[in-house]
Amino acid sequence: MATTASISITSADLMPGSSLNITASSTLTKAGVTADLDQKESGVMKLVTGTEYRLGPLATEMAGDAHDIASYLYVHNRTTEDATYYVDWGIHETMIGRLYAGDWMFIPWSASDDGAEIEIEPQGGTNIIEYCLFNSDVILPTAAS
Amino acid sequence: MATISANATISSDISSYPITISGAMTMTKSANPSVGLEETTGLRTKKFTATTAAVIVEHDELTDDKAHKVYIRNSSGSRANFFYVAYHASAAAAGTAETIGKLYGGDWMLFPYNGNTNITVASSTSTETQILEYMVFADGIEAAKG
Repeated sequence: MATTASISITSADLMPGSSLNITASSTLTKAGVTADLDQKESGVMKLVTGTEYRLGPLATEMAGDAHDIASYLYVHNRTTEDATYYVDWGIHETMIGRLYAGDWMFIPWSASDDGAEIEIEPQGGTNIIEYCLFNSDVILPTAAS
Repeated sequence: MATISANATISSDISSYPITISGAMTMTKSANPSVGLEETTGLRTKKFTATTAAVIVEHDELTDDKAHKVYIRNSSGSRANFFYVAYHASAAAAGTAETIGKLYGGDWMLFPYNGNTNITVASSTSTETQILEYMVFADGIEAAKG
């Protein structure tokens, strides 16, 4: 059950004297060990502006010490490209960056508590995002009897 | 104007139906998506032999509220060791609210960054040397004043 993440960053003219060519690849594993991750969730969502949304589980929705669970998040803003459209992303209420239309991001994520969730907030209008979270040990809510 | 292309490929057979995610982007300025980023702090490589938190991206060198991108890779080989990566003035640890995650040996990350607070890291080990590679693709660098 291997999950592999690869990246390539290239530019011939950012530093004209030295062409940029970064490549890297990693097999995503459980925290601190070489066992493969074995769970994932993914989706496509339309996000209406003016609201902050949580992406992924809370720390208490993961088994054991949530901060010892390795999770990896991929998000792609599929909104039609427009300079006024972006998704603010951050940890809890601290916004870290702007995922503009057409941009993608890939991060490791580990929550120390329920106040360290991934938060996203669309700006400019309705943004469409595609996401995939790779992890392990997520607990589903108990069904009501 | 420079053209910087970043492509991600994520392949997984966790489910019965293997998936391949392909992401492609050209890094552009916040004010104009048809104009490419044209500044960088350069690609840096740094050895860490202690667990003390360190600032790897100083926000006051970058223009606030822009479309910067940060690439970080833990080029060490051990999956047992990692770097905490945080969006914080000075700290990076499990209990720091703005810690994003743990970057294990071999892992990489690329994320949009607004330039409003430092990016900090802390190695999980002082007994083994870990090496970090990082680069900021900047949407505005504030030149140091004399």
